[in-house]
Amino acid sequence: MRWVTRKVLLEILPPGGALPGLETIDLDAFLKGFGQDAPFLMRLALFLSVTVFVFSTPLTLGIPWPALWLPRGLRAKHTTKLAVHPIYVVRQTMTMLKMVAGMAWGQDAAVRERLALKAYEPDPGTWRPAS
Amino acid sequence: MTHLTWSSDRSPVELEADFVVVGTGAGGALAAVTLARAGYEVAMVEAGPWRDPEDYPSTVYGSLRDLSDEWMTGVTSGRALWPVVQGRVVGGSTVINSAIVVRTPGDVFADWERDHGLGGDALAERVWTHQDRIEGELSVEETVKGVYGNSNRLAQAGAEALGIHDHAMTRNVAGCEGSGQCLQGCKGRKKQSTNLVYIPEVLERGGTLLSSAPVARVLLRGGRAEGVMGRFIHPQTKRKGGAFTVRARRAVLLGASATHTAPILQRSGYKHPALGGYFRAHPGTAVFGVYDELVDMNTGATQGWASTYYRTREGFKMETLALPLELTASRLPGVGLDLLERLTSYRHLAMWVHAIRAETVGRVKAAPFGRFNVKYTLNKADLERVRRGIHTVARAHFAAGAKAVLPGVYGLPSSLNADQVDMILEGPLDPRAYIGVLSHLFGGTVMGVDPRTSVADPSGRVRGVENLAVVDASIIPSTLGVNPQHTIMALACCVAEDLLEPRPA
Repeated sequence: MRWVTRKVLLEILPPGGALPGLETIDLDAFLKGFGQDAPFLMRLALFLSVTVFVFSTPLTLGIPWPALWLPRGLRAKHTTKLAVHPIYVVRQTMTMLKMVAGMAWGQDAAVRERLALKAYEPDPGTWRPAS
Repeated sequence: MTHLTWSSDRSPVELEADFVVVGTGAGGALAAVTLARAGYEVAMVEAGPWRDPEDYPSTVYGSLRDLSDEWMTGVTSGRALWPVVQGRVVGGSTVINSAIVVRTPGDVFADWERDHGLGGDALAERVWTHQDRIEGELSVEETVKGVYGNSNRLAQAGAEALGIHDHAMTRNVAGCEGSGQCLQGCKGRKKQSTNLVYIPEVLERGGTLLSSAPVARVLLRGGRAEGVMGRFIHPQTKRKGGAFTVRARRAVLLGASATHTAPILQRSGYKHPALGGYFRAHPGTAVFGVYDELVDMNTGATQGWASTYYRTREGFKMETLALPLELTASRLPGVGLDLLERLTSYRHLAMWVHAIRAETVGRVKAAPFGRFNVKYTLNKADLERVRRGIHTVARAHFAAGAKAVLPGVYGLPSSLNADQVDMILEGPLDPRAYIGVLSHLFGGTVMGVDPRTSVADPSGRVRGVENLAVVDASIIPSTLGVNPQHTIMALACCVAEDLLEPRPA
């Protein structure tokens, strides 16, 4: 499933644009951490969003093939149509995908450097023990 | 000082204190410190872990993981899915908010007296007296020009050009450095959140804190609250630890937030027809302005500017808000290469928000796994307010020199120029067309004089349980039209003080 999720997120922020896309980021490591840290509802929402993305080509392009089987141009068209789809729940799945893709992308030091933004310090993930 | 939290040995914890306070945010912390200053032994029970500023994350991912309530997966379950923004950490939402401090407006007390039989002028005097003191304790000051940042400066210019009265935001910060990191927790210890000011004081006065300790239920027996119980959870893995029971010699105070206090009472077996009802909010949406000049909205105070000019006229307020790059990527229109192209202008974007004083009433109830469900769908009048709010914010952007605005409304062009701005007023009256959030929440256990419509009496005491009180926004019976932190803090002090007085027979 992680492979499919990675491919779908790459459609949200793809390579070849004005800024680096998600291709420069270790998405497998990010998604592994996400799988460990995120609550069940968040993981479920991502799973459903990925599923909708892959199998909703009949809604956007009128063809029955899964989105990831399509050539790059058609995949991009499918992605664009999903983002403005008249069905609210479908649009919300794109919001979810953009949120996860945005978190992975926007915290990356190389991306931030391209925008001349300060790199983030690592998140400590610590808390105060009993005393 | 005693701090108890999750431990791997899963041994049960049982303790007793004069007062047990659930929650350590604006309400819980102020109630706890009021009781501790009166010489009582207080046990505070907080669902989230205790993180000091050096533990705070830098990224949005870290903020969702470490400081938020379940990654903000709480959403409204009406026609639209609008997220409910809350903290879950020692200090509650005061850790992740923008430190905004606004005194309770006088008209709010008049409304409460007229509609709910609450104290009127006497209550106002009492609340304002507490707010005077709190402002001193939290180093409240106006945002100084040195940390204003371009976004706040542009907002001020836009409002002035339109003749809209505005002001620098008043905040509980001591020597703000304008790091723009309010929403991820202030690592520089400038924001005076309750975990830095009041919680340590309660502990120094002999109190106890249980962290990572979500309360499952209040122990109710024979019309009394005996204490609270639950199980510790690991701050990161969420693995369950030992059980805890905290008994109260005098009273239990619930300050778990407007989305958790009513569900805790429901899980405790408490019954009242108004429980979970009269849930209200300040829903808000954002408008990006695209500028030729460099804005760098994340430099300077996160929310340093505001206008309440339209609060009573139209029913909304306006504020600046700095959005980190990660969230901007999900909030900007478009996807794929188009989105990346838009993101190149990130440093030229200013995001300003409006929040409406909504008349919509919803309901909160308990959901499985300790979660809550909020039923809330904006009505037509509120959606018209949302439209007017977006329109006014967009006009302010253009008045400040923006070349385009991105209103984020489905059904309208994703980018509007100055000639197109009135199209916003024709936007759809459907909440699903807007990207909004519920940031200020009220109700669920509202207070009032009518026992049929109010769970809590005018002293914040839960009806039918003599030693159980509510000290968070759940008791507030209306929206305020301004940031509620200061009101919650002062009301919590009033409720706690009343618990120290013997009740009239």
